Amino acid sequence: MNNLVYLIPLFPLAGFLINGLFRKSLNKPLIGIIGSGAILASFVVSLVLFFQVKSNGALPVEALFSFINVHDFKIDFAFQVDQLSSIFLLIITGIGFLIHVYSTSYMHDEPTEHFGRYFAYLNLFVFSMLLLVMGANFVIMFIGWEGVGLCSYLLIGFWFKNNNYNYAAKKAFVMNRIGDLGFLLAVFWLLAKVGTVNYHDVFTAESLAKLTPTDITAITLLLFVGAAGKSAQIPLYTWLPDAMAGPTPVSALIHAATMVTAGIYMIARSNVLYSLAHVTQNVIAIIGIATALLAATIALKQNDIKKVLAYSTVSQLGYMFLGLGVGAYTGAVFHVMTHAFFKALLFLGAGSVIHAAGGEQDIRKMGGLKKYMPYTHLTFLVGCIAIAGMPPFSGFFSKDEILAAAYARSPILWGLGVLGAAMTAFYMFRLYATTFLGSFRGTHDQEHHLHESPAAMTIPLVVLAFLSVIGGAVGVPEALHGHHELHHFLSPVLTTEVAPELGHSTEYGLMAVSVVLALAALLFALNKFSKKPELGEPTGFGKVLANKWYIDELYDAVIVNPLLKFADFLKNVVEKSGIDGIVNGVGRFVQYLSRQLRLLQSGQVGNYILFMVLSIVVLFLVFWNQAIILQFLQKVF
Amino acid sequence: MNAIILSAVWGVIMMFSSILFKNKGAFKYIAAIGLIVLTVANIANTYGCDFFNINTHEMLRYTRFGLFFNTIAFLCTLIYVLLSGKEIEKHGNYVAEYYALIFFVLCGVSILTSFNNLLMLFLGIEILSIPLYILTGSDKRNLKGNEAALKYFLMGSFSTGLMLMGIALIYGGTGSFQIDVVRSATLFGTFSGISFLEVAGLLFMLVAMAFKVSAAPFHFWTPDVYDGAPTVFTSFMATVVKAAAFIAFIKLFEVRIADTSAVINWGMLLSLLIIATLLIGNITAVFQQSVKRMLAYSSIAQAGFMLFAVFSLNDFAKEGLILYAVAYSLATIGSFAILAKMKDITFEGFNGLAKSHPVLAATNTIFLLSLAGIPLTAGFFAKYYMLASVVKTGHYLWLVILGVLFAAVSVYYYFRVIQAMYFKEGDAQAEDVTPGFKIGLIIVAALIILVGIYPQVVLNWLYF
Amino acid sequence: MGVTSILFWSLSALALISAIMVLATKNPVHSVLWLIVVFFAISGHYILLNAQFLAIVNLIVYAGAIMVLFLFVIMLMNLNTATEPKKNLWMKLAGIISGGSLFLILISVVRSSVDMSQKSALVKDGNIGLIDTLGKVLFNEYTIPFEISSILFLSAMVGAVVIGKKN
Repeated sequence: MNNLVYLIPLFPLAGFLINGLFRKSLNKPLIGIIGSGAILASFVVSLVLFFQVKSNGALPVEALFSFINVHDFKIDFAFQVDQLSSIFLLIITGIGFLIHVYSTSYMHDEPTEHFGRYFAYLNLFVFSMLLLVMGANFVIMFIGWEGVGLCSYLLIGFWFKNNNYNYAAKKAFVMNRIGDLGFLLAVFWLLAKVGTVNYHDVFTAESLAKLTPTDITAITLLLFVGAAGKSAQIPLYTWLPDAMAGPTPVSALIHAATMVTAGIYMIARSNVLYSLAHVTQNVIAIIGIATALLAATIALKQNDIKKVLAYSTVSQLGYMFLGLGVGAYTGAVFHVMTHAFFKALLFLGAGSVIHAAGGEQDIRKMGGLKKYMPYTHLTFLVGCIAIAGMPPFSGFFSKDEILAAAYARSPILWGLGVLGAAMTAFYMFRLYATTFLGSFRGTHDQEHHLHESPAAMTIPLVVLAFLSVIGGAVGVPEALHGHHELHHFLSPVLTTEVAPELGHSTEYGLMAVSVVLALAALLFALNKFSKKPELGEPTGFGKVLANKWYIDELYDAVIVNPLLKFADFLKNVVEKSGIDGIVNGVGRFVQYLSRQLRLLQSGQVGNYILFMVLSIVVLFLVFWNQAIILQFLQKVF
Repeated sequence: MNAIILSAVWGVIMMFSSILFKNKGAFKYIAAIGLIVLTVANIANTYGCDFFNINTHEMLRYTRFGLFFNTIAFLCTLIYVLLSGKEIEKHGNYVAEYYALIFFVLCGVSILTSFNNLLMLFLGIEILSIPLYILTGSDKRNLKGNEAALKYFLMGSFSTGLMLMGIALIYGGTGSFQIDVVRSATLFGTFSGISFLEVAGLLFMLVAMAFKVSAAPFHFWTPDVYDGAPTVFTSFMATVVKAAAFIAFIKLFEVRIADTSAVINWGMLLSLLIIATLLIGNITAVFQQSVKRMLAYSSIAQAGFMLFAVFSLNDFAKEGLILYAVAYSLATIGSFAILAKMKDITFEGFNGLAKSHPVLAATNTIFLLSLAGIPLTAGFFAKYYMLASVVKTGHYLWLVILGVLFAAVSVYYYFRVIQAMYFKEGDAQAEDVTPGFKIGLIIVAALIILVGIYPQVVLNWLYF
Repeated sequence: MGVTSILFWSLSALALISAIMVLATKNPVHSVLWLIVVFFAISGHYILLNAQFLAIVNLIVYAGAIMVLFLFVIMLMNLNTATEPKKNLWMKLAGIISGGSLFLILISVVRSSVDMSQKSALVKDGNIGLIDTLGKVLFNEYTIPFEISSILFLSAMVGAVVIGKKN
């Protein structure tokens, strides 16, 4: 019995309840302390468990109570802390804590009530996310899965007075629901064929033997649909950029560091299934690389600081899926980790910038912030270098591992990946140069307002920057005389990991090509935009990119509008004249019948007895001739 | 034997108590004590402690099922007396005698749940019926009540005649009144294995029982009598008495139908009765203006549902009938208790009750929901068991569909009351609603929900 | 044709004719008188079946007590032909048809039951209907129904008092 396991989700839940219920009576510092403290406590427990797992291996599955119990079908509310989930626990609670601390300062201008609501949602989110990664079966994972979707909806629409934000929240929710349908169907399929949803029972040779190749392909594809919804892959990615409507720390936590990686977690968790489904693996790899490239191209031309980061997130998620698709599960998880560091850093840095610029998000109206905000500038630069994949920053190691595995599967995938990496370096430094270098382009008032953010915001930035720099150390490949500790640590869970069989010289070559290309793109962007930023409206092909390939418009025209038309048709024609007509007709018929039948009740005893005698006669006749009646009925029907 | 003897004795005690006590209010409590004594004695009997060791020559046979129903009937009557005792006191000077009659009815109920002989069945039915004729006409200055009592008496006599005819024919066919003997005699005879006389006799018995449980087309007395009788007594007639008649019905037909189903299909006749009852009960209830009359028709409709148990006659049916008896009795007693307090018993009279008497409106809603068979109320499981029992027989599955359809229709008229209470403007008036009355209603409503969530709380007693 | 048969047929004819007359006469007093004749005829049948006790009780209770009660009620209410409500002709017709069909059905039931002929042998046993035999059966085998019917009468009496007494 390891009671610590229960504590991890319990703290955020308690924080959510306290902040949610007493948000009107608590004051802001207290709310902040409760909210952040809950996550800190979870983090400490996670750390303890991590070291236990590290030294003793996976903890036993802890069943809290029987969740669903019907006949011989049983689902426990059980938690499982093993190598994979302990890593995720650390990421969620660690980065979650930093972002909570950051938020206490960032959201300080909100009224107390909304401040409390914000922290309640945030804690609820962490709780759901913890359920998602700790659950010992697909159903518990699904509860967390839905929970994070809900929190995402609540937080995107946090400023619910703005209708566009509400629309964005709705969009996120609906797209996630489409993915969830896939997830649910997969779970049902699994239940129908295997009869259990526990990871321990499903991923055994015995259970897998019950599945035909078609089953496995279908289940994995359906699960991937769920993952694509949550992790913003083609075609369900459009909600993520819109999700930037929420407060910036939310974007950092939910839409960059944690929730969107749920899909990766789920697929890594089911790696046993996926390694048996080559069709699905190819689909994932192709969709991953396509998403990575599509999002990268869009990011090239965005002018909203958060939108650039959002598309970059989609693009990086694409890389992770590429890694999953080619069997580099460790690489994908590794990239989740490093990405969590530097993307959280970048978002928080962006938040710091927005905070300083008084809510301005358009980078064309910024510039030269370097001298006003030294900490923010420096940490942001670290983040940019890390995401661009420059050695020895963390992004280099994780991205390189994925690309190496992609090369082993197909050099074309690798080529496209390197192209995407170069684009990443380009747009990130375009963003960096336009924002921090050059001279300030805003109004005089804004310039006057510029200032470095308070310590509660800069300290998390510094911590994250530090992690972004050294985070890669846990996964230094053997080619660089490392041990790749992460790989060894995760190997009990990611049993079907395919190590790319490449010679060291090949690996060096690959690294060199990608680093050189990225460096070239980086320097080009730095050179180009520090002197002459792109201020006008984009033209030609740039306009297509700036308008995100018109994908939203395409969805509207092909899916949304026809659906609305169909709904109109159902409402005006089918319901009004068809359904209503039938329903009202039935009602009228019943009333008519009622009035007629009422006449039978004449009040005359003589009549009653007459009816009764007649009925007796009829009963006798029916009884005597029932064989004939039965035959007749059988002939008629 | 405990229940039969003690209920008769307590009836006599009630009559004597009218000499001793001049205060009308006292009788209610004497009756309540009597009912508690009866319940305890009956439970003792259930667990093997019979106070009266009498050789009944197998004319009475005690089963767990019958004794458990006795307990339910006594407890329901207790609730009824406590809730509606005040109303009984309003009808004339013979309150103690009314209670005595109610105890005699319970004596009839106890006989009906344990009879093993057609003679006893007849006696039980008559002891059950005669006090009811009188209770119906107890409001002597009400012309409608007098008319109802006379009608009830005339038609009741007619059905008694039919029953006697049936018993005589069965005796002619088999040479015995014992149900067991009748059963074994079915092996010889002329009509596909059983005697013509017996079949004809059984058919007459079927008609007579259908009359007692107010199954269409033998239901004609029900709306007039339920409407004409004082509301308190209608409540008693429609619940405990009707459920007891069903127990007798199912006991009478239990083995017989199952044994001969291969050759003689009682199912067809019963399904005809069920269809007619559901149709007439539900459809006619739709158009009523008075809530009381609506409830009268609804009780016909509910009888249609209970007939499913007689139709399927398996373990599910028996459990279901018990559950139905509980659910239906509690909800109807509660609903009628509220109705009796209302000044105006039309649908309009309920307008705006939620504002003037929120507790009455809320509990009445639960009662009506239970009658309609909405989940989380006892009525749901009651209906569910009934339909499930038919599904289990494997024949006549279309009856189930029909049952569900008519249950849907029933929602319409029950919800009319709820709609009137909650969504219509008006000043519904209820008379002397005491806190005790409200607490009683809340307890009944809570029981309904308890059984609705966990029906085993009732059914377990059948086996343990 | 023996004496028993002659008696049986004539009593049956008498019973049927007087039963029809009960319904046919307009005057209620005449109806009651015809009914008394019916009871006498039925009692005759009882004696033919060796049920002497039943025959006497039938006469005393029905023809004696109950019929006298009927006559009193009729006289007190002063019923005469004029007060009888007019019935619809169609209703009458429907009544005749349905009653007739039921009658036919019952006849067919009795006719098709073969087991009747074997069970009428008890007529020959002279002691079956004597008080002695009846009493033994009643107080041995049928004690329970006998006692329980007292509850029935008690409740009927209570009812009569409740209904009859002034409020």
